[in-house]
Amino acid sequence: MADDDIFKQFKEHSIAEFFKKNRQMLGFSGKVRSMTIIVHEIVTNSLDACEEAGVLPDLFVQVEELDKEKEHYRLTIKDNGPGIPKSHLGKALGQMLAGTKFHRYIQQRGQQGIGAAACTMFSYLTTGQPTKAISCHKGRKITASIGIDFKQNKPVLDVVEEADALNETGLSFISEFKDVRYERSNYGVYEYLRRTALANPHCAITLIEPNNERTVFPRSVQVNPARPSEIKPHPLGIGTHDLLEFARHNKESRRLSSFLQETFSRVSAGKIDELRSLLPDMDLNKNPQDMTWEEAEAMVKAFASVKWIAPATDSLVPIGREQVEISFRNIFNPEVLVVTERSPKVYRGGIPFMVEVGIAYGGGVAAAGKKGEVMRFANRVPLLFDSGGCAITETIKTMDWKRYDVKDFEEEPIAVLVNLISVHVPYTSAGKQAVSPEEDVMDEIKFAIMEASRGVQKYLSGKRKAHEIANKKKVVSRYIQQLSGDMASLTGEKKAEIEKALTKIIEDKYAQDEMEAEETAEKDPEPDTGIGKTDEGGEEE
Amino acid sequence: MSDAANTKLQAMGKQMVEQVRKGEGPTFETVLRTRSNTIFDEGIGCLRTGDKKEVRKFLSVAQARTFMQTVAIAAKSRQFLKENLHTSIRGLFYQLKFTLGEDIDEDLFTEQAESNALIEDLEVALKIKREDLNLTTDRKGFVAGPMTIMDRFGGDDTLIDLEKQGRSGWSIPSDVDNGMEIKELGADYVLVVEKDALWQRLNEDKFWKKENCLLITPKGQSTRGTRRLLRKLADKKLPIYCLMDCDAWGWYIYWTIKTGSMNLAYLGRDFAVPEAKFLGVTMSDIKEFDFLDKLTIKAKDVDVKRAEEMLGYPWINRYADWVRELKMVLKTRKKIEQDALQGQRLTFVGEYINKKIKNKEWLS
Repeated sequence: MADDDIFKQFKEHSIAEFFKKNRQMLGFSGKVRSMTIIVHEIVTNSLDACEEAGVLPDLFVQVEELDKEKEHYRLTIKDNGPGIPKSHLGKALGQMLAGTKFHRYIQQRGQQGIGAAACTMFSYLTTGQPTKAISCHKGRKITASIGIDFKQNKPVLDVVEEADALNETGLSFISEFKDVRYERSNYGVYEYLRRTALANPHCAITLIEPNNERTVFPRSVQVNPARPSEIKPHPLGIGTHDLLEFARHNKESRRLSSFLQETFSRVSAGKIDELRSLLPDMDLNKNPQDMTWEEAEAMVKAFASVKWIAPATDSLVPIGREQVEISFRNIFNPEVLVVTERSPKVYRGGIPFMVEVGIAYGGGVAAAGKKGEVMRFANRVPLLFDSGGCAITETIKTMDWKRYDVKDFEEEPIAVLVNLISVHVPYTSAGKQAVSPEEDVMDEIKFAIMEASRGVQKYLSGKRKAHEIANKKKVVSRYIQQLSGDMASLTGEKKAEIEKALTKIIEDKYAQDEMEAEETAEKDPEPDTGIGKTDEGGEEE
Repeated sequence: MSDAANTKLQAMGKQMVEQVRKGEGPTFETVLRTRSNTIFDEGIGCLRTGDKKEVRKFLSVAQARTFMQTVAIAAKSRQFLKENLHTSIRGLFYQLKFTLGEDIDEDLFTEQAESNALIEDLEVALKIKREDLNLTTDRKGFVAGPMTIMDRFGGDDTLIDLEKQGRSGWSIPSDVDNGMEIKELGADYVLVVEKDALWQRLNEDKFWKKENCLLITPKGQSTRGTRRLLRKLADKKLPIYCLMDCDAWGWYIYWTIKTGSMNLAYLGRDFAVPEAKFLGVTMSDIKEFDFLDKLTIKAKDVDVKRAEEMLGYPWINRYADWVRELKMVLKTRKKIEQDALQGQRLTFVGEYINKKIKNKEWLS
C-alpha cells in the first residue's frame, strides 16, 4: 500500500513536473512568447478543424488584461468550426497527447502541436482556474469548465450548461493565464495573427487587444485550400523514434517485413530482400511490437543505403501563387509583388517539400514602415521565434541583394514571405520555430528567393530607367518655353514655331530612349539556377 | 552699339533655329576654358586659350539649364544693345532673376555667380567682350595727364581734358572702347603706380605735367577698363612703366597687366600689355639706396611662395632679370613697399622714377 501511495504521489507529481520542466521545450519560454504560443495552439486547432469541416474560418481573438502587475490575462478564442461533441470535449482540451493528429502522416499545421491541452494545463498551473469552453456541435451548445486531474492525467469536465445551439456552431476557448505578457512586438500575438492571415487568405481574423483596439484581418479568398492527401511515410523521412512508434501502434502486421510494406510507401518485396541482405543479423519475420531501439536504429541506417523511388509529392499543398498575391495585395498593397510557383523537391533523399516565396516591394510596405521584413512560415504557420538559427533567415541574410537592385535589404521597403511546405518540416528543435539548415532545403529556398528577386529587380531596374528617362525629359522640357522665347528674340523668328519644333524633338528623343530601355529589360536573360528537375516518383513497383 | 556684337548674337540664334528646324537639338560651339587649354603665347607675350573646342548642348540633362541660361543672357544683351542701354553684370542678373513659369518651381537665375560665369562663357563662344554687350563693370582706376577724350554717352558728346581733373583725376570707365575716343595725346610715356596714395602724392607734385606723362593708378589689381586703356595706350606706342610694391601682390598686379590672367586668358591680347616694364621697387634698389635697407619688411610666407611659383612660370623665368630678383627674395626673405620711397624725402619718388627711366633700369 505504501508503495502504491508513493507511486501515485510520484505520478501526480511527475505530470506537473514534466510540464514545468519541459515548458521551454514546448515553447513556453519567455512571457511574450508563451502568450503567442498559446494563441498559436488554439488558432491552429481552429483552422484545421474549420478546413476539415469545409467551413471558411472566421476567428475571433481577444486578449484582456485582468491585472497588469500580476501579468494576469484572459484569452478568448472563438471559431466557427464544427465544434466538439460533449464526449470528446474534455479529452480534446484537457488531455495531453490525445489529439486526432497523432500518427497521421499528412501536411498539416498541428503536426508540431503540443495541443490545446498544454494550454489548459498552463492556465491551470499559473492561475488555478479551469478553462471555460463553449462548444456548439450539431445543434447542441455545451458550456463547460475543464480542469485537469494530475493524478491520472485526465481532464475534469464540468458541464455548466447544455442547451440548443440554434444556428450557432464552433468552439470558444476562454482561459486565464499568468506569467505571460501581451506586447505588440515582432513576437507578439498581433504579428502572429497578421502573418497567419497573410498565409491563410481564406480565413478572417478579428483581434481585440488589451487596450480595446480592434483589428480585422479580412478574408481575401472565398474558398478553402485543397485538403492535403494522407500518405504513407517514405522510409527516408523516418527516424529511429518514429519507426519504433509506428511499430508499437501497428495492429495489422504480425511480421516486421509486412509491417514495413504496409506502413511505408515505396517498400516493395524486392526492397525487403535488399534490406534483408543489408541486415543479415535481423529477423524480419519477428513481431514488429518486439522491435528494439537498436534494431530500429540499424533499420533506419539501412534505409539510407537503399535506392528508393522518390515519394509522391502530390500530398503537398502550397498556399498558391494566386492566393499569396491576393493576400499580399490585401494586407500590403505593394508597388511590386512577385510570387514564385515551384515544383516540389526532396531533401535527405526522400522527404518531399516545397518552397513558396513572395516578395513585396514599396507601396503599402513602405507606408507601413516595414523595412527588410522576413516572414517565415512552415505549412502556413508563422514562425516568429528563433530566427537566428533558421535556414530561411540565414539564406536571406547571405543573399547578394545588390545584384537585384535592392541596395540595402535592411533599409528598403521590402517584405519577403517564405513558406516551407512538407509533411516533415526539418525543425532545429522541439520548439519548432526554426528550420534547420538542410542543404537541399537551403538551396531550394535560395533558388526560390532568387527567382522572386529577379522579378523584383526587373521591375526596379525598369522603373528606375523609366524614371530616369522621365526625369531627363522633365528637366529638359521645363526650359522649352524660356529657350524658345530667347531664340525668337535673338533672331526675330516666331516663338510658337520654335517651341513646337523643340517640343517634338524632345518627345522623339526620349520616346526612343524609352523604347531602348524596354528592349534591354526584355532581353535580360534569366540566368540558369542550375537546379535539377524534381525527381518525380514513378509508379509503385 | 556694337554692330559686330549684335551680328554675332543674331548668328548664334539663327544657327540654333536652323538646327531645330532640321529636327536637331540646339547647340553652340565654344572654346574649352580650362587650365590645360590655357597657354602662354610667346609670340605675343600673353596668356591665351588654346584651340580645344567644346559643344554645348541643350538636349543634355547636365547642360540643359546652363544652355538655356546662356541663351537668355544673349537675348537680354541683344536687347540692351538695341535700346543702347548699359547695365552692370549685377543689373543683368536682376533682369534675369525671375521664375520660369507658374508651374515650374525654378528661377531662371538664383545667384549672380551663375550669370557671371555664363557671361564669360558667352564672351568666349562669341569672341566678344562683355563691354561690347553693354555690360559694365565697377570702375577703380584713375588717370591724369596730357590727353583729351571724347565721351559719347547718354546722348551727349563730352570732351574731357585729363589735365583738368584736379586732385581726383579722371575715373577710368568700365568700357573704353564703345563711345569713347582718344582725341589728343601729348604724353611721352605712361606711369602706372600701384597705390592711390602714391598717385595722389605724384599728382600733387604735378609729376605728369613736369615729366609729360600719363599718371595712372589701378588702385591695386587692374579692372578690365584700366587694362583695356593701357592696351590702347601701348598701341599708340607709349612706353608703359609700372611702379609696384616689391612683394607678391605687387608682382601679381604687374604680371596681370603684362601677360593677362589665367581667368581672362580667353580675352588674350586685348587685355594684356606685354610691352609693360617694371620700374620698381626691386630688390636691387635696397642695395643701391642705403636708406631703403632700414625700411624693408620681413617677407611673409605668401610672398615667398609666390616668388617660388613665379620662378616656375615659363613666361616669367624666361627673363633673367626677374629670375635674379626672385632668387634674391628667396635668399633675403625681405620685401619693400613703394611708399618706402618717400621715407627720406617726399619728393624722392619723382627723382627715383626719372633716374630709372633715364638709365633704363627696369625689369622686363
